Amino acid sequence: MQLYLPIAEIPVNIFLILGMGGAVGFLSGLFGIGGGFLLTPLLIFSGIPPAVSVATVTTQVVASSASAVVTYIRRKAIDMKLASYLLAGGVTGSLLGVILFDLLQSLGQLDVVISLSYVTFLGTVGTLMLVESINAIRRRHSGAAVSVKRPGQHNWIHGLPFKVRFRRSKLYVSAIPVLGLGASIGFLGTVLGIGGGFLMVPALIYLLRVPTGIVIGTSLFQIMFTMAAATIFHAASTQTVDIVLALTLMIGGVIGAQLGARMGQKLRGDQLRLLLGLLVLAVGLRFAVDLLLTPEDFYSIAITKGAGA
Amino acid sequence: MSARWLLLWIGIAALGLISRADAEELVTALSAEMVSIQSNFTGTEIVIFGQISRDTNTISRRGKYELAIIVEGPTQDITTRRKGRFLGVWVNRDYERFLNVPSFYAISTTTSIGDLANRDLLDEYQIGLNHLNLAVTGKSDVPLSERDDFRQAFLRLREEAGLYSERQEAIEFLTDTMFRTNVPLPANIPVGAYKIKSLLFQDGALLSQTEGSLSVAKTGFEQITFEMSRDYSLLYGLIAVILAIFTGWIAGVIFKKD
Repeated sequence: MQLYLPIAEIPVNIFLILGMGGAVGFLSGLFGIGGGFLLTPLLIFSGIPPAVSVATVTTQVVASSASAVVTYIRRKAIDMKLASYLLAGGVTGSLLGVILFDLLQSLGQLDVVISLSYVTFLGTVGTLMLVESINAIRRRHSGAAVSVKRPGQHNWIHGLPFKVRFRRSKLYVSAIPVLGLGASIGFLGTVLGIGGGFLMVPALIYLLRVPTGIVIGTSLFQIMFTMAAATIFHAASTQTVDIVLALTLMIGGVIGAQLGARMGQKLRGDQLRLLLGLLVLAVGLRFAVDLLLTPEDFYSIAITKGAGA
Repeated sequence: MSARWLLLWIGIAALGLISRADAEELVTALSAEMVSIQSNFTGTEIVIFGQISRDTNTISRRGKYELAIIVEGPTQDITTRRKGRFLGVWVNRDYERFLNVPSFYAISTTTSIGDLANRDLLDEYQIGLNHLNLAVTGKSDVPLSERDDFRQAFLRLREEAGLYSERQEAIEFLTDTMFRTNVPLPANIPVGAYKIKSLLFQDGALLSQTEGSLSVAKTGFEQITFEMSRDYSLLYGLIAVILAIFTGWIAGVIFKKD
């Protein structure tokens, strides 16, 4: 069944989009990630214009994080003060992101920047995940006593000025890295169409030493609002948010996420991280191949003025 | 073919009888004045009917009538880019910007385009893809020798997208003077005001021409959504966010585990 997308101005197969939303939702439930970094590429590869894919996925990330945030609010596992500092940074970063996005689009370099960034980020994060999980699995098999690495109490970040106390997280750190982290992830999320949870969670744990029990809820909460801001910025500036596409993805996504979450409880943590690492690397490689192989068609066209611009 | 068609035919025939021009006159009618795009839109087809009316005083010429019918969409400026290697990576490098080119161009003819008229006439009336006037911006870094590559690539990409087409021998004569042709409109057709130009040739000379109009518009939900995203973009963004939070929240509540 075909569904006409009013902003992308092309018809798509509704079951294909529901299926993609569902599959990515399943993986996001399985691994506890937002899945934007998988969904945006899938949409791009299936022929949706990159600008529409990126902007629309920011909307879908709002929905997928909202459904999880409900649970964390109930469990009171969110540091609202930390989240609001991250959010202040996030909204600023997102605004900068949308300005860059607009500029790149008019220069015709948006696609290549999206691809290069995906290669860089997914390549790095995927490799790190893979190495970490293989080591964990090795240790488990060799029966060696797993020494829980306790992150040191202090690092250079804790020496920065403008300290703020975050009671819920039992933290007393400078506001600079918190705002900076929020801004970087808001910026990347807006330009690349990702929530950035897979960057935010490790950063909060290893850089800021936020207790693990609070990390995911706080990260999700701030991602939800940063991506909500990104959606509004995209809608106002690039006008590429396709509400019909977003809703179709959301419906597939929330259903898939529930199934994934159930499946995830049956797998071990290190196995999950190994699979996720492979997945992240595979997406990164797919982009790398497109950039490095001689293209089938050297030419492309873009409407710069008039109907459909 | 219903009563509507019959009326159309009678109309065309009547027009043919009434007109008493000195020479051949061309009258055309469309199966629909408007194409509406809705959520289930996957492309459509318009039928163009026409009649060549001839004054009884006009001396019957020996040559065969030849026709060209052009369906042309609203104009656009289009940038055609060419990829090149930069630090080992393929990126867009050179570009050429074509100004005021049709967003849609479908030509149907009775014979091959080259046989309709001479080159000058084809260029003047922009008959056929090779005779389209593809003006480029003054400032361009593309060397003259490569400009035609961009032009060819532009036409090829538009053809591949189904937005430009040439269909030779696609006009059917129902009688000596009545004709019809079907023009498919693809799903990705741009919205706006379309022109339908019909040209009548004989022995390489343009005898008559007429122009009609067709409107392609989104209707209902698609129209409201699109216009809102353009005219009230901030509100549109807010609605998208509220919709997303609501959907997520509902899902979170329905599937709650603990």
